[in-house]
Amino acid sequence: MEKRNLEKCEVPLTALKDKETGTVTSIKSGRGRGRGRGWGFEKRLMDMGLTPGTKVTVVKSAPFHGPVEVLVRGSRLALGRGMAERIFVETANE
Amino acid sequence: MTQKKLLIALAGNANVGKSVIFNYLTGLHQHIGNWPGKTVERAEGTLHFKGYTIDIIDLPGIYSLSTYSLEEIVSRKYITVERPDVVINVVDASVLERNLFFTLQLMELETPMVIALNQVDMAKNKGIQIDLKKLEKLLGAPVVPTVAIKGIGITKLLEKAIETIEKGAVEKHAQARYGEEVEERISALMAMLSNVQVLYPPRYVAIKLLEGDEEIEREVKKIDPKIVPAAKKLADEIRSLHGHACSTVITSERYELAGCIARNAQKLVFPIKPTWGERLHNITTHRVMGYAILASSLLLIFYSIFTFGGYTSELLNNLLYELEPIVKGAVGAGVAGELVWGGIFEGIIAGITIVLPYIIPFYLILYFLENSGYLSRIAFLMDNVMHKMGLHGKAFIPLMLGYGCNVPACLGCKIMETQRERLLAAFVTTLVPCAARTVIILGLVGKFLGFQWALTLYAFNLIVIFALGRLAFKIVPGEPTALIMEMPDYRLPHAKTILKQTWFRVVEFVKIAFPLIIVGSLALKLAEIAGLLDTLTAVLSPVTVLWLGLPAVAGITLIFGILRKELALIMLATLLRTTNFALVLSPVQMIVFTLVAMFYIPCTATIAALVKEFGWKKALFVTVFEIVFAIILGGIALRLLTLVI
Repeated sequence: MEKRNLEKCEVPLTALKDKETGTVTSIKSGRGRGRGRGWGFEKRLMDMGLTPGTKVTVVKSAPFHGPVEVLVRGSRLALGRGMAERIFVETANE
Repeated sequence: MTQKKLLIALAGNANVGKSVIFNYLTGLHQHIGNWPGKTVERAEGTLHFKGYTIDIIDLPGIYSLSTYSLEEIVSRKYITVERPDVVINVVDASVLERNLFFTLQLMELETPMVIALNQVDMAKNKGIQIDLKKLEKLLGAPVVPTVAIKGIGITKLLEKAIETIEKGAVEKHAQARYGEEVEERISALMAMLSNVQVLYPPRYVAIKLLEGDEEIEREVKKIDPKIVPAAKKLADEIRSLHGHACSTVITSERYELAGCIARNAQKLVFPIKPTWGERLHNITTHRVMGYAILASSLLLIFYSIFTFGGYTSELLNNLLYELEPIVKGAVGAGVAGELVWGGIFEGIIAGITIVLPYIIPFYLILYFLENSGYLSRIAFLMDNVMHKMGLHGKAFIPLMLGYGCNVPACLGCKIMETQRERLLAAFVTTLVPCAARTVIILGLVGKFLGFQWALTLYAFNLIVIFALGRLAFKIVPGEPTALIMEMPDYRLPHAKTILKQTWFRVVEFVKIAFPLIIVGSLALKLAEIAGLLDTLTAVLSPVTVLWLGLPAVAGITLIFGILRKELALIMLATLLRTTNFALVLSPVQMIVFTLVAMFYIPCTATIAALVKEFGWKKALFVTVFEIVFAIILGGIALRLLTLVI
């Protein structure tokens, strides 16, 4: 399901392999279910330190499309799969 | 001597040792409750120090002061409305950057503060050395290094806090300076805000308006409706300059600043080998081993709690019933004796035989797991499964608790971020067969039909939980949230903190559950004495006999079961005059009875917990829904099972 945006060389965080590092470029807000605010989650991710330009290292993913464990700003976060799919990163060697 | 009163608030990220400091400071002089009208916990305590009476409030552990969660709103309101004399910001020295991000926001609230640089020992183990003087200078606030679990630095922290208050004048904190484009617009907004009086400092309001903070927008709109659109326009300018939303730009810059302070104040000396915590983390979150460890620890926990609980519960029960002749002798054996013993005392006994054997060990283990950091690993491993019912990994924790007792489980739903998720999680939790329902399942179906039938019922229960959870998730309006959770380093939990947390939880449980259990058992006793039970049986018989195919007396037993689920089985034995249920009930009747008992209503104590957390209306809705659901389910099961068996 991971679509690569060739023009910008951005991939979703979930496309990184274990131990790979990327730099956050953007967070795509949710498809929006009508009511509610996608703002909340984007803001929450930012508040947890995933701002554009931040280096993120994927440590591992839980099996069966479970959450992703990442290292950000010296601390360890667990991100739900759906959430991680919306975080776009650039990898250094591409 | 009149003592001067002070108010100190503790604030900081989750998992930084805030509650250890709180417990250290306040000892047993604590009061734990909810913030008025909110499902957010409020912990207060008092201590006497150097002639002062100090009220300490432990604000919830949060990462930011925006409006993402109820905790964040409550915290910033508290700091601005109640104006504590000083805020102690507890900071984890081993994750300085993330913690300082929060510190910078606290500073924007322009409150006097002292920084407790906690877990300096763990930071050292991770190869992080912090230059205190430099950090103090960069932040413009006093910094006290502490190791809370060993009590190191706490007295100094308190002295520093009082010193800060006594000095009076608020020290000028290093205000977070943003980039030029942002600063210009903050100044422009502050000029517009000069006549607007809100709770928060003008600079804070200006920043939050640029960030698009809904609560602040509402406040400002009330006073001057023109300002919000103006702020939106300024924010759009920043968006076009930077290519990111204005709130993103501000958050980024704030993090940059936090990172810059952290890098300046700390020196990294790389540790030689990975710490034991790291290794433990790798094993406990491993894709195979992690689940094996989780499954075996849960089995071990439940097995030991049930074994211990079952044994102690019976022992206590027998012991307490020794009092019967004494009490009845004192009050007289007539109606008064029946009421006092059967109503009040039996209610209390029912409560005691739940609390001591089950609730206390449960909380002890729960807090051990929480304080050590394992709970967040459980949430990580189970996130996937919980998504199937529309919740995320953290919801597994109340669900797991529910197998012990639904009451702490419902109260534990606070770990979810939004009110909607708390309600969903609580609803799902009330469907989990607790220890009392396990007694019925094992005592009736397990004993007379075989273990495989009991297991089938458990499996069926899980299916129902998933199905109803999903359904509720679809119906209740709101946006689903996903897991965003910090997994703190493993650490040895602090025994005293665990004991205190358990103690205050148990007190809370007693306060919630006991009154209702006693009132309920009194009411039932009255009904019994007034001879209403036969009438009740007759009234209920269309449902119990015709629809569910049960003996008529089952109706009463289910009513008694509301007080305490396993009473349903005990009453059934009494009324049918045998404990060998095989003689009086058919296998199908046993299954139907157990099914109904499993789902039909949360017990009184759970209802009380639901009312406390979510209000009467929602508690009533859940209760009525579950009664109707259980009856319909039981009837259908009867008709299907008679075809099979």
